[in-house]
Amino acid sequence: MNKILSHTISLAFVSVSFTLSASQELIEKGKYLADAADCYACHTTDDGQQYGGGKAFPLPMGMKIYSTNISSDKTFGIGNYTLEDFTAALREGKSANNGYLYPAMPYGSYALITDDDIKALFAYFQTVPAVKQKKTDNDVYFPANVRTGILGWNMLFLDDKRYLPDSEKSENWNRGNYLVNSFGHCGECHTPRNLFMALEKDKPFQGAVIGSTWAPNITAENLLKAGWGSDDLASLLRHGYSDKGVVTGEMYTVVKHSLSKLSEQDMRAVTGYLLNSDEYIASKTPVYDEKVITHEGYPTYMSYCASCHGDKGQGKPNFAPKMLGNGTLMEPNQYNVVYSIIGGIDSQYYNQVNSFDAMPSYQDKLSDQQLLDLMNYLSASFTFDKKEFTAPEIKALRESVLESLETEH
Amino acid sequence: MTVMNLSINNNIVGPIEVDPEIMMIEFLHEYLNLTGTKFGCGGGICHACVILVEDEQGMLKTERTCIHNALVFNGKKVHTIEGHATKDKYGEIIALHPVQESFSKHFSFQCGWCTSGFMNETIALIQRLKKDPIKKTDVETTIEAALGEHICRCTGYVKYYQSAKDLILSIKGLTK
Ligand code: FES
Ligand code: FES
Repeated sequence: MNKILSHTISLAFVSVSFTLSASQELIEKGKYLADAADCYACHTTDDGQQYGGGKAFPLPMGMKIYSTNISSDKTFGIGNYTLEDFTAALREGKSANNGYLYPAMPYGSYALITDDDIKALFAYFQTVPAVKQKKTDNDVYFPANVRTGILGWNMLFLDDKRYLPDSEKSENWNRGNYLVNSFGHCGECHTPRNLFMALEKDKPFQGAVIGSTWAPNITAENLLKAGWGSDDLASLLRHGYSDKGVVTGEMYTVVKHSLSKLSEQDMRAVTGYLLNSDEYIASKTPVYDEKVITHEGYPTYMSYCASCHGDKGQGKPNFAPKMLGNGTLMEPNQYNVVYSIIGGIDSQYYNQVNSFDAMPSYQDKLSDQQLLDLMNYLSASFTFDKKEFTAPEIKALRESVLESLETEH
Repeated sequence: MTVMNLSINNNIVGPIEVDPEIMMIEFLHEYLNLTGTKFGCGGGICHACVILVEDEQGMLKTERTCIHNALVFNGKKVHTIEGHATKDKYGEIIALHPVQESFSKHFSFQCGWCTSGFMNETIALIQRLKKDPIKKTDVETTIEAALGEHICRCTGYVKYYQSAKDLILSIKGLTK
């Protein structure tokens, strides 16, 4: 009898520990996916507790909305959510606590997430520490405060469909597509929006204005034209730094809190999808031609840029990006180049061995003519297509950068 | 090679052939043996390396020499730490600059690496205040704003700031 009992007990132990480890696995998967979806970036303030919400998102005309508390707190967070509530929030932007969510929450992208992955996310969010923090009231007025308006928007623009693999493509490519378009929600910044602020689905990844930066064109066609290779892209997304340049602005936090945590395999999938290739793609760099030293922009480059970016645009690893073959210099829209020169770049800290000092602003150092010469020099020496800019083009870019710097401050 | 002409500490330097690749601080150190300007971070952060650039109106502004190549200073009038004290005709120092006096009196620095940077910034600040005096109650915040970007790893800033404050309050016309 005793023997039977002890067997039963040990069997019970086996089954309990099995369930425990299965759910632990699910929770860990959920954590990985929550990082991939970068929930942290929007639902945590700079000095706040993880997932406590309260981060402000400026809207036009001085309005502001604040992210919600998605910690496991039962009163202020989502601790009381059922799996169904959680799914509705993620896929349809319907919050059990706050009604229809503003589409700043990328539920249009998260709608692609599979049921299994939603379960994992749900399991994880039930375990994150509870944060007792009330939702900050949104600062919006008519008509933006009428939440049922969002329902209309959803009816027009929300495509509530799960990801459907493309059978013509490889598993790697499909995984990349799924990650980039659902969790990564890359299109939310890199795809232009129409008058109603809905993504223009026929122009995926062609670049868009986001805050005071230009989210560049990341179509495979454009990346390949600029010489991006598999390693460049993987390094950029993992470390914020690559042979083809660095990330700045919002993308810095995306790399820091999200993309840097992707597994090797998923990173291969993402880069494979973005470059639209299952093969390894080698990086391409233009050849530096000594003759450029006769260019009008040469003295300006040598005066202000060369000490950090190198006299031949070779850069300094982990300090200043390479100019030779730099992807931003070959982006069709040169706003970010002018922004970096005129506005400077904030310092970035990923970890102790990977951090970058700030780049100063050269607004009070460069005349319009010098800036034009410099832009043309950068293009002539360090790009494939060696575009020539005109004075009005560069002046207009400078003005729009100054305007956005003013609104930032 | 580029030919440069500039004025350093009221002496004309040039025409001189300069490698366009070198930074201003290297030019000062290697071409002119002016080693008082110190190289700290090399990345435009610590401001140890600033020198003074004088504009057409005689106003002084600091400029970092580690992130700007020598070419930036072509045709300009600049002042470095070596030029502030008064010298006799044999080049012997006969009087320190009031900021130098004040920093020494307050034991503002220890290793001295950051000192030429702090010195130049304070000299520019005092000149600015001569033109646009400030209220006595604004002295501390004005100093903090002016010297705030300078990094010192030894003395904790207090003595630099105190020294600048005493000096500003003791010179007539800087406050109102
Ligand atoms: S050495 Fe120039 S700013 Fe630090
Ligand atoms: S006195 Fe040593 S760094 Fe300032």
